[in-house]
Amino acid sequence: MSDLVTQHNKYVTFKSGNEYFAIKIEYVNEIIVYQEITEMPESEDYIKGLINLRGKIIPVIDVRVRFKQPELPYNDRTCIIVITVKDMVVGLIVEKIAEVVEITEDNILDSPSLGNMDKAQNRYVYGIGKVGESVKLLLDPEKLIKDDDWSVLEQMTENTTEEGE
Amino acid sequence: MRILLAEDDFVTRKFMTNFLGKYGDCDVAVDGMEAVDAFMMALEEEEPYDLVCLDIMMPVMDGYQALVGIRNLEKERNIPSEKAAKVIMTTALNEEKNVKMAFELGCTVYSGKPIDQDKFEQVLKKFGLI
Amino acid sequence: MAEEFNTQGMLDIYLFENRQLLERLQEIVLEQKDEDCFDEDGINEIFRTMHTIKGSSGVMMFDDITKLSHKLEDVFYYLRESKPQNVPHMELVEYVLKVSDFINEEMDKIENGDAADGSSAELVDEIDAFLTSIKNGEGEKEKDIKENVYVEPQQFYIAPMATSASHFYKIYLTFAPDVSMANVHAYKVIYSLKEIAEDLLHYPEDIISDESSADEILENGFKILLQAQCGEEQLRELIKEGYDIKKVDIVECTGREFQQGFDSFGTEIRIDLESSVEEIEAQAEAKEKAAEAAKVKENAEKKTIAPGDFVIESKEPGKGKKLARDKSKKQEKTAFISVDVQKMDQLMDLIGELVISESVVLQNADLKVPGLKLDNFNKAAAQMTKISTDLQNVIMSMRMMPLVNTFQKMNRIVFDVSRKLEKDIEFEMSGENTEVDKNIIEHISDPLMHLVRNAVDHGIETAEERLAQGKTEKGKVTLWAKTESGKVWIGVQDNGKGLDREKILAKARKQGLLDRTKEDSEYTDKEVYQFITLPGFSTNEEVTEYSGRGVGMDVVVSNLQSIGGSLEIESTPGQGSLMILKIPLTLAIIDGIIMGVGKSRFVLETGAVKEFINIQKNRLIQQPNGREFVMIRGEGYPVLRIGEWYKLHDYEANLDDGMLVMVEAEKKTICLFVDRLIGNQEIVVKPIPDYIKKVKGLTGCTQLGDGSIALILDPAGLVE
Repeated sequence: MSDLVTQHNKYVTFKSGNEYFAIKIEYVNEIIVYQEITEMPESEDYIKGLINLRGKIIPVIDVRVRFKQPELPYNDRTCIIVITVKDMVVGLIVEKIAEVVEITEDNILDSPSLGNMDKAQNRYVYGIGKVGESVKLLLDPEKLIKDDDWSVLEQMTENTTEEGE
Repeated sequence: MRILLAEDDFVTRKFMTNFLGKYGDCDVAVDGMEAVDAFMMALEEEEPYDLVCLDIMMPVMDGYQALVGIRNLEKERNIPSEKAAKVIMTTALNEEKNVKMAFELGCTVYSGKPIDQDKFEQVLKKFGLI
Repeated sequence: MAEEFNTQGMLDIYLFENRQLLERLQEIVLEQKDEDCFDEDGINEIFRTMHTIKGSSGVMMFDDITKLSHKLEDVFYYLRESKPQNVPHMELVEYVLKVSDFINEEMDKIENGDAADGSSAELVDEIDAFLTSIKNGEGEKEKDIKENVYVEPQQFYIAPMATSASHFYKIYLTFAPDVSMANVHAYKVIYSLKEIAEDLLHYPEDIISDESSADEILENGFKILLQAQCGEEQLRELIKEGYDIKKVDIVECTGREFQQGFDSFGTEIRIDLESSVEEIEAQAEAKEKAAEAAKVKENAEKKTIAPGDFVIESKEPGKGKKLARDKSKKQEKTAFISVDVQKMDQLMDLIGELVISESVVLQNADLKVPGLKLDNFNKAAAQMTKISTDLQNVIMSMRMMPLVNTFQKMNRIVFDVSRKLEKDIEFEMSGENTEVDKNIIEHISDPLMHLVRNAVDHGIETAEERLAQGKTEKGKVTLWAKTESGKVWIGVQDNGKGLDREKILAKARKQGLLDRTKEDSEYTDKEVYQFITLPGFSTNEEVTEYSGRGVGMDVVVSNLQSIGGSLEIESTPGQGSLMILKIPLTLAIIDGIIMGVGKSRFVLETGAVKEFINIQKNRLIQQPNGREFVMIRGEGYPVLRIGEWYKLHDYEANLDDGMLVMVEAEKKTICLFVDRLIGNQEIVVKPIPDYIKKVKGLTGCTQLGDGSIALILDPAGLVE
């Protein structure tokens, strides 16, 4: 019998570029191997398209592209982390999956203490977690898949397409 | 007014005795069987209950069985319907078939839980109990 | 209609039955409102309706409703028995509608969990006076009619109190590791919670006499299940974190989870990194199957109940109440019309899955072995396809409902608003039997209401104005519906004064909405009229009770957009306006033609495709602005290269090697250029995930027989 405590403070971690990132396990539905992606026209560069997950069609984004890092070709180590954020199911294509770790609150530092504020990825990082000798950058999934300018852009496009009917 | 309360859950019992205590003396039974026993005892002592509040889901005997038991005791002593005890079933069960069966077996009022205290009082007034 | 609704809550039944009765009542009234008086059948039906409502409301102890329906029942009893002449018909009609409105309002309150606190006393007195005046008018004919005797009910039903106010919480307490007698501390918490608890369970159970519970609490925490009316903050107040309580976790849960007790305290997400993908998928499938099996067991039916069914095993603290006979409450198949929409959605999803599954089977690579004799297989497959198609049709028809009820609602609105504004307006409807998906009906009700109100309030002029213009004194509002090219069109037409183009342009200019480079005369009428759908735009000088605040039309349009629809506005000054709502029929399963462009797959609804043409590139005409046309049998058609349009990769550029697909939509025809045709099959339309912003020309996606994803093209979006 497990209770509230076991899943608290657990994070799924993955490697992207030279750093390790972590996402709270509560957001993660499952992790699957890379599979064929159907391209979606007219979408952001980081939105790679759609995949078919046991009958459900879900969008996937490439984390490296989101972090404005150069794209890497996909290989058999590439995985997709399927997360649910605010009722939206989205897949995150990551370079290399790492382990599930536990990070307690006292091992978390606020992120502004980091330098390199101009790095794109830092917009999505809200803290740094210490695990043994290494650090993991804690990602905010909501910010990761959506940020404010995006939704404004969406509204604009909607208005213009619907007006001249 | 003499009141009999049959309720197996502690917290609800506390609430009900508080609530009913305003209207009269309240005796408590913790299962259906005890309720029927208590009702019979009151009849024998010639101080019958005016109001019986029965929970439906109870151990040993459920509320419906207790209701049948109580009505049978009254029939046996030829107590006319105007003088029969008013029985209020209190329960979280709300489906039509539950209500129908309760009415068929002779309950006077069927009150869903949580209890609407205003309507409860209204109904007691309607029957002249308060 | 009113058959054995054994499984419904009392209140639901009461509300449902009465609403149906009142709807019918309104129908009768509106049908006969223009007559001199109600006919015999009408009187009888209204009498019976009021009698029924009076009875059930009496048992449910809704006194105001009971008294009001009783009073109206008296009136119709008198009409039935005494048959008086010269009853003021309009007044009577209004009273009936007022009564119906009052009862509906009270039922709305009840449905929301609020008290039915409206007082009908005033209305009762009014109707009483009305009845007296009718009776007096018939003074001489004092017939000996029996009194309409009212026998009070002897048994009552009290509905449970606003159950929505009850919250269920899972509370998890962690104590500081050095605390002694943690069980006593836990008991203190329980004690303070009992003040507000409607129901309370905790684990470990025995915290008073069992000292080992202290260890259990320190090691695994103290768990509480609580039902109470209060909010989370109040709970935290009661359970103060202090030196002894280190952490308080409070999670709100559902009543059902509460009943399940401590067996399911917290959901698990296990991330399995060891197993391969196949294993992970197999596990997921197994879990789904187990959940399904459990559900099936739960739905084991019991037809009737009897005393003794509700005896419980002695209640163990920490466990929900369990019946000695493991009964489950649900499911009796009844001739019941109202079905939970969620279940309908599930059914739709399943039939969709079935269609996909069918394709996977029928198009399986295993079958493509050459030389295989598949005659028997094909016969069987054809039979299966037929059955599945029938199944789809029945299920889709279940979700379809005629627009009749919605239109009837509009009838009532026209009546109300026109009476209030003292305009004489006729209401006409056609095509009301057109069927649309239930989901659509829910979304167009409000927009339609707004458009109808506008027509009555602003469109149709007053009687004097109309006569002055040589028009008929009576205005007319027409509501029509029809299906065309996969969409349902609903029109709201009035023969009023129409839209004022100049006024709209002026207002648009004032609000800075005009394109400064464009001349006024360059704007087509349609474009000008569309301005009124912008937020805050209203050329009405006065704001009336019904419209004019400028918050309406933009909401209408956004409501429509949320179901993929649009609004078209036509108008002729002096003669009237026409608002057309165009809504796609969410045909969830369509017959589609699959085409390939590069590595991508696209699907077009078969109905939209006129023909396929293999063409040589010398038939292509290039315009200076880059647009391409093709001549076919003397007609020129614009060409849209899908690969280029959507900036795909590796697609065919040479016209000789690809295929032209001629597509028609909204009276326009274009040719799409694709690489190749792949096939034709039934596809299940699935929405493109919300996360992805709308793309012009794409209206959904689907899974093909080989598991790949195809995008569904929207002809209307492409022909633009």
